[in-house]
Amino acid sequence: MALFTFSRELDPVNALFRLQNELERVFQSPRGLEGGLLGRGVHPPVNLFRQDGDVVIRIEVPGFAPEDLSIESRGQTLSVGGKRSQEPAAEGAYHRRERVAGEFSRSIQLPRDVDPSQAAASCKHGVLTVRVPARAEVKPRQIAVTAQ
Amino acid sequence: MNPATEPNTQNTRPGRTFAPKVDILETEAGLRLWAEMPGVDENAIEVELVDGVLSLRGRVATAEYDNLEPLYTEYGVGNFETRFRLSNAIDGERIQAKLRNGVLELELPKVAAAKPRKIEIAA
Repeated sequence: MALFTFSRELDPVNALFRLQNELERVFQSPRGLEGGLLGRGVHPPVNLFRQDGDVVIRIEVPGFAPEDLSIESRGQTLSVGGKRSQEPAAEGAYHRRERVAGEFSRSIQLPRDVDPSQAAASCKHGVLTVRVPARAEVKPRQIAVTAQ
Repeated sequence: MNPATEPNTQNTRPGRTFAPKVDILETEAGLRLWAEMPGVDENAIEVELVDGVLSLRGRVATAEYDNLEPLYTEYGVGNFETRFRLSNAIDGERIQAKLRNGVLELELPKVAAAKPRKIEIAA
């Protein structure tokens, strides 16, 4: 005989399952706890690398053509933005919708030893790569030793 | 990106496998599927339909990351893999695949018999 029946909102078992699912999603996401407990951070995520003094930025922008992307440098800040050209609205029912729609914008602060105004960008297969070269004066320079 | 959908099947080589983000739309003509696989070349994609199970696999060129020293990383890089069970209504012979800007687009047309058919009522 049931002494208590819980409404769906107050059901402790249901709430426990929901908490468990949420935590599982956070730990399984490659970004883990970054970006808050819900696991959703800033979009899209960026990776920064160093290569021979240059900084290389990689951003995954699937569905964006090179002409949909805009990159602007201001001082040591690089701003990357994109707007997907609208896909024609389709008639039908979505079984699944995981892709994030449309627009994005991210600003990246670059270290002082690279020159954003000389950055070069390329985009292939939905991956944007921006190479920001090291400033000339920062590159190691050989100093000749003269005999006296 | 999500972790691989089949955690029990491991690769012999190291490296992570992710399930691509997928949109699936059902229209009268069939299913349309978009799977985001950034960094994957046309030659590195496999689309297979075996026993009603559609498998999508994409390999990322890791050579592009040689000699790059990570400074700040927000996402992991890895191959993509996912599987879907399709109903008999999908015509396996007429599936079309296209790769555009890192997104795999599939057209999965329905078998003719599965399309809705208007039945005329005789007076």
